[in-house]
Amino acid sequence: MSSAADSNVQASSGGEVEAEIPPQKMASSVPIELGAPSDVDLMLRIQAEDADALSQLYDRYDGILKALILRIIHNDTEADDLLQEVFLEIWNQAKNFSPQKGKPLGWMVTLTRRRAIDALRKKQAYNRAEERLQAETEQQPLAWVENVTDKEIRAGDTRALMAKVINSLPEAQQQVIELAFFQGMSQREIAFHTNIPLGTVKTRLELGLKKIYDGLKELKDEL
Amino acid sequence: MNFEEFQNSARLYVIGALEPEELQDFEGARKQYGTAAEDFIQQCYALHEAFALSLKPAKASEAIKNRLMAMVRERGPKQPPA
Repeated sequence: MSSAADSNVQASSGGEVEAEIPPQKMASSVPIELGAPSDVDLMLRIQAEDADALSQLYDRYDGILKALILRIIHNDTEADDLLQEVFLEIWNQAKNFSPQKGKPLGWMVTLTRRRAIDALRKKQAYNRAEERLQAETEQQPLAWVENVTDKEIRAGDTRALMAKVINSLPEAQQQVIELAFFQGMSQREIAFHTNIPLGTVKTRLELGLKKIYDGLKELKDEL
Repeated sequence: MNFEEFQNSARLYVIGALEPEELQDFEGARKQYGTAAEDFIQQCYALHEAFALSLKPAKASEAIKNRLMAMVRERGPKQPPA
């Protein structure tokens, strides 16, 4: 599926709170060392063709972006190759990033997801991935989000908090969101794949995404 | 389409899950609601980040980074257009 959203990769996650914060003060999406440059600082340096900034951004986010790619294409070697292509694209397309429109990670995730789904379709590996996904889903229905301990949540770990929000969804909603986001399926494709009526797919997607969106807003208020 | 319905559609839009026939209605409402619509769509992109951050990071091989940096440095700064 080639989505309208994917065809126009913009900076992603600008929120009402962040919009009031000067770009150079915006926090990173992952914990960074005291005194280390912010994500926005790195992006601005990449725009000025500073290769060291790309190196730092890579060290900060290679794990997250590779996990996303792996979630989509299920092949470690191909994921590594695609990760390299993604960072090259970040380097080449950095001029299109605008801190006023959102955080660098959101922009990179949108770009990475689009590339990974494109790669999945180009390879015509869709059916194989679908079978693997189905097998995984049957064996471990809630495997797409990590189990989170109370200790991690108390520590305020962003990843744990995000996973907690997603984990709180009913399994049926998680399943349709998984297929839409990580497999790039349309509502009709999900309905066909799961044998669930199209209207039910739409309702589950809408409810699930709204819960996650509302959960994220609450998290922003807490953090 | 009222604004609540628009918001539901916007969340589907950012993950690329709107069907073609829904996209037309969505774009109409997007124009109708103007800046409020654009602001909300931008906020919805936070969903992408959330999904990525919910995954356990998977470390890439060091060779990939070395290759990437070699390619970037080899190209050097882009030349300004003539």
